[in-house]
Amino acid sequence: MVADSNIKAFPAAKSPYVPCGEGTYTPCKLPKNVPDWVKSFRTQAFERFLAQGLPTRKMERFKYTDIARAVKEYDGVLMAHEGIIAGEGAYVSSLEEALEKDWVKQMLMQETPGAAKYGDSSLWDLNTAYLRDGAVVDIPAGKSVDTPFVLNLEMPDDAYASLRFIVRVGEGASATLVENHKGQGEYWKNAVIQIVLGQNARLNHVINQQDSAGAVATTYAHIHLERDAHYNGFALNMGGAVTRHQIQADLAGAGAHASFNGLNLLDATQHGDTTILVNHMAPHCQSNQFYRSLLDDKAHGVFQGKVHVFEGAQKTDGYQLSNALILSADAEMDTKPELEIYADDVKCSHGATTGQLDEEPLFYLRSRGLNEKQARLLLVQAFVEEVVEKIGDEALQDELGKDIGQWLEKAL
Amino acid sequence: MIKIENLKCKIETDEGEKDILKGISLEIPAGEVHAIMGPNGSGKSTLSYVLAGREDYEVTDGSVTLDGVDLLELEPEERAAAGLFLAFQYPVEIPGVNMSTFLKTSINAVRKQRGEEELDALGMLKLIKSKCKELGINDEMMKRAVNVGFSGGEKKRNEVLQMAMLAPKFCVLDETDSGLDIDALKVVADGVNAMRAPDRSFLVITHYQRLLDYIKPDVVHVLAKGKIVKTGGPELAKELEDKGYAEFIGEAA
Repeated sequence: MVADSNIKAFPAAKSPYVPCGEGTYTPCKLPKNVPDWVKSFRTQAFERFLAQGLPTRKMERFKYTDIARAVKEYDGVLMAHEGIIAGEGAYVSSLEEALEKDWVKQMLMQETPGAAKYGDSSLWDLNTAYLRDGAVVDIPAGKSVDTPFVLNLEMPDDAYASLRFIVRVGEGASATLVENHKGQGEYWKNAVIQIVLGQNARLNHVINQQDSAGAVATTYAHIHLERDAHYNGFALNMGGAVTRHQIQADLAGAGAHASFNGLNLLDATQHGDTTILVNHMAPHCQSNQFYRSLLDDKAHGVFQGKVHVFEGAQKTDGYQLSNALILSADAEMDTKPELEIYADDVKCSHGATTGQLDEEPLFYLRSRGLNEKQARLLLVQAFVEEVVEKIGDEALQDELGKDIGQWLEKAL
Repeated sequence: MIKIENLKCKIETDEGEKDILKGISLEIPAGEVHAIMGPNGSGKSTLSYVLAGREDYEVTDGSVTLDGVDLLELEPEERAAAGLFLAFQYPVEIPGVNMSTFLKTSINAVRKQRGEEELDALGMLKLIKSKCKELGINDEMMKRAVNVGFSGGEKKRNEVLQMAMLAPKFCVLDETDSGLDIDALKVVADGVNAMRAPDRSFLVITHYQRLLDYIKPDVVHVLAKGKIVKTGGPELAKELEDKGYAEFIGEAA
């Protein structure tokens, strides 16, 4: 793949999308040089999106998050913007450059995840319908890359963007991918990330989501793991007005291992939703979901985790844990762990706690001379630390740690 | 040194308000060790929590002064700075906070309040190392989370370690002997005895006379149903060992 430090897809087009009337969407025009298959593929996705509309709260997996309400300002004025993404790393290319590759085409053309079973994946189709900006990371088999790939996403004000990332880690290869999400003003970012891990491949994936306070961010990650592949994800969610992070992982090969860790730091009237589905489709796979949330002011956190164990996926080890600390009387957390199991020799567990800081340790610390703020800070730092250490990369841990520390200082 | 006068308190329970301490008065001069003994439910632990400033208890009457300073007016951390130390009956586990961070934060928080210079990393390390050595505490413990996975003996030794580091004037030991085997008890008692000094006094709360074989009290008080019902010398503890608390339970009723 081509080295490129500033990725722009379809750079020639300027506002190629037609604004449309309230409540309706108009398919967008494309630059001339786009292959025919992309055009028809986008049109089909657009039709699927129109047929479904935006997800509603009647849909089980959108029970706590009203997407339509959050994005109503963007209704009909969907426009893609350029120069949103800057990538670093030897194997990164723009989506446009990668469209000729068969494997990229195959990944783009795959069936929308969750559509058949849940019928609530229209945001993915919307992403495809307006597909333009994106980046592709391809790690050849056997290659171990020490320097993290960094994707910097900087959204402009008053914008909509469909961003698509496609990541392939070849057999036995390993890499670290970092996404930095930032932006200005109000925008709607609807991103899809597709990750495929070959046999025995490893990916460490760190998401630093610090979108602007007025942003709506909807992301849908689909992760496919082959035999003995290993995925370790960490998401820091502290930005955005309304965010919805959806993940579907398919553990398709025996012995695959996937961990999803995250920290939500939400205040003001922020709404942050993380919804994870782990499909255990092969035996001897392991999955861990471990999220911690700190909610201040009138923030609303949502964690929905589901483990689906398919028939024959014996010796599955599936674990889910969500812990939320409520720092103000008006903050709220909704947690819904779920299991759907069709194999008889599995170990699955889930746990969820939501509460305030315990009085006992607070009193213990204060009796040792710490004032209330110091005591609270120490306890909350410990709460946060236990999930942050899952990042497994000290430099990244320190980098995120600074922003986390500032948030805590302000909140407590 | 410490003066408790007519101390009364109540607590909010599911069945309404409940009076627990019903007028306790006692005075411990500098350098003395007083023991409080009593049956379960007599208010022993409540007394220790009220002294340390736990908010669950509402003080309805009385006063507590340490060298003339009104403790009841102070926040728990201010009481620590003023020189009060409570060794907890059940030391609290704090997952994710390691011992060394905890001790550093605590020591410097107290020093700062007392107007003393905060210790730098090296000074802190020296202090921790020397105190650990005195108490036979392995350095390894400093890397563990506070009280998490500690044995009963380790937890109590940890309390004494903190006590030694914070250099208090007045130490309250709440059933420090409970759950300890005789060897662990000796280690803890040695640690306490090493701290006995002319300008420091102790209040040792216990259910069993055994502890007082190792920490010799100057005065023994018997607490029953929220009141001190008898005060005497060390021989009173022996008497209780032989006769039990039966007569006091009746007397206070």
